[in-house]
Amino acid sequence: MGQNTAKLNAETSLDSVSLWGITRKRLLRRKSAVMGMIILGMLILVALTAHWLAPYDPTKSMLDVPDYPGKIEKRLPPCVHAFGCPESEPQHLMGLDGNIRDEFSRLLYGARISLVIGFATVSFSILIGTVLGALAGYFGGWVDNTIMRVMDVVLAFPSLLLAIAIVTVLGPGLINALLAIGIVSIPAYARVVRGSVLSVREMDYVSATRSLGGNTYEILFRRILPNALTPLIVQGTLGIASAILETAALSFLGLGAQHPTPEWGSMLGQERNQVFTAPHLVFYPGLAIMLTVLAFNLLGDGLRDALDPRLAHVS
Amino acid sequence: MKRNLFSLMSLLVLASMILAACGGGPTATQVATDEPAAPPTEAPTTAPATEAPVAYEGMKVEAPSCDYGGGMKSIEAVDEFTVKITLCAPDPAVPAKVAFSSLGIQPSEYLESTGGTGDLLEKPIGTGPYKLESWERGNQIVFTRNDAYWGEPAKSPTLVFRWGSESAQRLLELQSGTVDAIDNVGPDDFATVQGDSSLNLMPRPALNVMYIGMTNTFAPFDNELVRQAFAQAIDRQRIVDNFYPTGSEVASHFTPCSIPNGCAGEAWYDFNVDAAKALLEQAGYGASNPFPTVKLSYRNVVRGYLPDPVIVAQDIQAQLKENLGVTVEINEMESGAFLDAANSGQLDGMHLLGWGADFPDVVNFLDAHFSAAAFDQFGTSFDDITDNLTQGGQLAAEADREPFYEAANNAIKTHVPMIPVAHGGSAIAYKASVEGAHASPLSTEIFAVMGVPGQDTFVWMQNAEPISLYCADETDGESLRACEQVTEPLLAYEIGGTATETSGLAESYTASDDLTVWTFTLRQGVTFHDGSTLDANDVVLSYVVQWDASHPLHKGNTGAFEYWTYLFGSFLNAPQ
Amino acid sequence: MTTYILRRLLLSIPVIIGILFATFALARLIPSDPCRAMLGEKATDEVCDQFLKRHGLDQPIPVQFAVYMGEIFKGDFGNSFRFSMPVTEILSQRLPITIELSLAALSISLLVGIPLGIISAVRHNSWVDVLTMLWANIGVSMPVFWLGLMLAYFFSLTLKGTPFQLPPSGRLSPGLIPDPFFEVWNMSLTEGTAIYLTAEFISRMNILNSILSGDWKVFKDAAQHMILPAVALSTIPMALIARMSRSSMLEVLGQDYIRTARAKGLKQRTVVIRHALRNALLPIVTVVGLSLGGLLGGAVLTETVFNLAGVGRILYEAITARDYGIVQAFTVVIAVFFVALNLIVDISYAYLDPRIRLN
Repeated sequence: MGQNTAKLNAETSLDSVSLWGITRKRLLRRKSAVMGMIILGMLILVALTAHWLAPYDPTKSMLDVPDYPGKIEKRLPPCVHAFGCPESEPQHLMGLDGNIRDEFSRLLYGARISLVIGFATVSFSILIGTVLGALAGYFGGWVDNTIMRVMDVVLAFPSLLLAIAIVTVLGPGLINALLAIGIVSIPAYARVVRGSVLSVREMDYVSATRSLGGNTYEILFRRILPNALTPLIVQGTLGIASAILETAALSFLGLGAQHPTPEWGSMLGQERNQVFTAPHLVFYPGLAIMLTVLAFNLLGDGLRDALDPRLAHVS
Repeated sequence: MKRNLFSLMSLLVLASMILAACGGGPTATQVATDEPAAPPTEAPTTAPATEAPVAYEGMKVEAPSCDYGGGMKSIEAVDEFTVKITLCAPDPAVPAKVAFSSLGIQPSEYLESTGGTGDLLEKPIGTGPYKLESWERGNQIVFTRNDAYWGEPAKSPTLVFRWGSESAQRLLELQSGTVDAIDNVGPDDFATVQGDSSLNLMPRPALNVMYIGMTNTFAPFDNELVRQAFAQAIDRQRIVDNFYPTGSEVASHFTPCSIPNGCAGEAWYDFNVDAAKALLEQAGYGASNPFPTVKLSYRNVVRGYLPDPVIVAQDIQAQLKENLGVTVEINEMESGAFLDAANSGQLDGMHLLGWGADFPDVVNFLDAHFSAAAFDQFGTSFDDITDNLTQGGQLAAEADREPFYEAANNAIKTHVPMIPVAHGGSAIAYKASVEGAHASPLSTEIFAVMGVPGQDTFVWMQNAEPISLYCADETDGESLRACEQVTEPLLAYEIGGTATETSGLAESYTASDDLTVWTFTLRQGVTFHDGSTLDANDVVLSYVVQWDASHPLHKGNTGAFEYWTYLFGSFLNAPQ
Repeated sequence: MTTYILRRLLLSIPVIIGILFATFALARLIPSDPCRAMLGEKATDEVCDQFLKRHGLDQPIPVQFAVYMGEIFKGDFGNSFRFSMPVTEILSQRLPITIELSLAALSISLLVGIPLGIISAVRHNSWVDVLTMLWANIGVSMPVFWLGLMLAYFFSLTLKGTPFQLPPSGRLSPGLIPDPFFEVWNMSLTEGTAIYLTAEFISRMNILNSILSGDWKVFKDAAQHMILPAVALSTIPMALIARMSRSSMLEVLGQDYIRTARAKGLKQRTVVIRHALRNALLPIVTVVGLSLGGLLGGAVLTETVFNLAGVGRILYEAITARDYGIVQAFTVVIAVFFVALNLIVDISYAYLDPRIRLN
């Protein structure tokens, strides 16, 4: 007996014998992944409760708030009562933006938009990418070649520039930005799925299903695709991170979220010339983007390590 | 592995260079010019011997008749130092027009040798206090002092133009001392510059207007009552107070009041929400017939009249919601698409646009927008506006013109083709140690009078790189400011002002009684940067290459020569 | 080996044709006309009709595409509307700037990322590992435009007057015009030849040019201007490189021959540097190829923030200004470059790792 056996026993105890159990245990052991999950948890909480937490309407200027007691001036620095701001001034945790709106409220509502956009974009790409990758991997031949060459063409362009071009064609707007970034991200998922499909296509349990009379789609969906699930999850989590970053970049350039939607990237873009006179308006949205993207990156990294069988022996 | 990595890197660099260089060098693909461009000589060659013993061969170009539709009838070099311009109709604004930068004079020999394009765009030759040393594309333009200048020599031996699109960047460079002056200080930075004793903020008088246009061919703005309602539902003072820099003011009329007859007639409507609501009801909108969602189109481009387009658009949106309960959808468009649609009257709903003065006359504002010949920007035009403008534009004395502009302004107020919002102030920031600092209302700063004691080089930073250095074929201020330092027109605006002075190449001028014939007497002994002497033919050719569309030298950068059409109407021999 | 190369080459051809077609289609699909985009608010309809005719934009689309393909194969990308210059000339002016910036960023990310990854691997799961990976991740999670602004503010304003002050934008201090190295060496090159163009291209990279011509003043100035944008841009590939080094090193460290080396009694350091490093760095080659796409996208934003006239920024400006000439040409060059690069990477990988080509 000894340490290793004890560990073995712990890992194979009944309640953690499933893949998810093992993954969860491995994930929780990585401190960075835990940190990512905590940040993500807070973000989701903020997104869900924004309308309770936000002290002001994110699209309403203080000019339109009846009987507003405070000073009305655009881009006022933060006023926090706990840090010495006089009680006579209304509290604005992150100050006022260029349209004299409460920045903190806008930041809270922005969490909703970023999370929704991130998930939506990646879902869109995964859906289409899976179909394409599965078709390419399963049927092979000219189907494979055509699909993969089209993927290569998309990958040949730097992703941000291609997204800019697509948005310019479709017209600016959050939905169009979603489509653009989604289209640009499809090849990554197609490749992942194709790889998985190729690796199990010829395996015994697949030929068994085939010989039992299963049709193509049954084989694909019930036997082969579940194999692709784990790499897709990893890729998807990291994909959400880059989708949020690219949406922010597009909005920063004026091509994504339209006014007065409180999206972090467009908030940053609107105020970027004021970085020296109103740094709070540039700092906080950027920090929010960074924390969100970081959370997904850490989580994705953790998932990849937890799900990677090759690293199993390295504890 | 490290060795392989290194060879890989060098392979990559080599591959990229080959790909770029193998695209075909400039000589292989030079399509624009028909004739090879001869570079100007560096060492000034002596000009050909003066024509004193031989009779002067003055050029003359004359339109066969005024039916071609333009304003210019003929231009003639009467003798070596006299130029006579004959117009088709009386025009009191000729001195202001002739001082415009697009009419800078270049040597006729140079115009011919460059074929009207090519080197002409990058290496202008003029008579100005600075000559062009080099233009490092994307990086900087370097000018050196013209020691043979006919007037006061430039203060600084070297002048450098740089550019940066972000106001934060420009301010940073000024504060860190790498540049001496910056254009278009960001509205929020005014306080910073004023509070810094090492910097000097010079406001530019607001010779511009920002307005909300409404196209009257689309519902619901086809109803005049609706337009009048909107005219009173927007608190313009709030916009100017909160979102415009100091030095800006609410527009009481379309034209700024500092321009003669600009503010003739009644001032614009007051902010009156109740009156606006009543008008909407009168127009038939109410609980049973709610007002539809309307669009507000704009372009996210910073201009003196609109320093913060995104924010102003959002405030208008918020105000209409608050005051009238109207939902406005903001439509940010790309600049070219926006202008295209605005000029052809295709923008459904409202749009935000403005206008900066080209020359200080009321026709530059009102006629350009509301006359019969203007763009269809606001839909169908109104006779009581156009008739009055036509009559006012033909008289010389300001007092005589006044009643017509009074009537025109009142008609504009009644029909509300647009809502004038603000005259936007902008500012230049200089280092406090700069002598001769000034801000021109027409954005034509003259750097020859500026210098920092003890410093050889004066560095100016503007918004963007010039497109070319041929003033005749450019319209953006960034290009015009650069070529203005090198070439000079017949007359010049006073430094930092709008009055025309005879500090240009013409010593004096006279006009006929009916204001159709204008005669300019040139200064003698003026030399160009390449050493040749200024004579009347240089003036005539500089004008003719813009005026005559069939001239072989009518090439320029794009061939559009837009300012010519603004100043003097159509081209001669324009292609059909 | 040759069959592998030939196969990869053949597969690249349809990709390149697809790129050409996609670029043309995208450029034409972009709504609105380039005339007013270029000539501005004061252009009349007649002027614009002239403009369209002059640039062949009034022809039907299939004709335009045929003309376009023909010109591509001749190497003629046409002229840019806005600058009235051949696009290839604009490309040769701007590409060196972006290449210099990207190489500097890549060098920084390699010099910092690889050691970070290795240290993390060697001290696996310790706090050093966690911190370095966190640091690398933070770098890639920051929006590069935000980081650029913060860096510019800190180094040019907060540190003003100190020896650590750095300029906030541009490539060189005003008025400083460097001499091309081939003039300093007194090489007599005829203008227009390929050698001249290549030399001119190299001379536009200020740091390289100043090294070649021995101009220490320009070198120092150019390097000072390059630091901030390169650091900002390097955060993009750095995390990827650090992560890849780490996992690759981890894998190698788990191999039997490493265990053997340890068993033989070799010091940890010798084991890592002499035995593990060489094999662990092999996948870096692929990562470098992958990260160049992100670098170019980041270059658009970095060049805007730091006011550098590079390819990324002018491509973005051209897209919004409908400057078809530049959009098409630059996109094609960039895309073909990536295809070529991937080809080189794949081939060198196959050369170095026999298992791939035998697959």
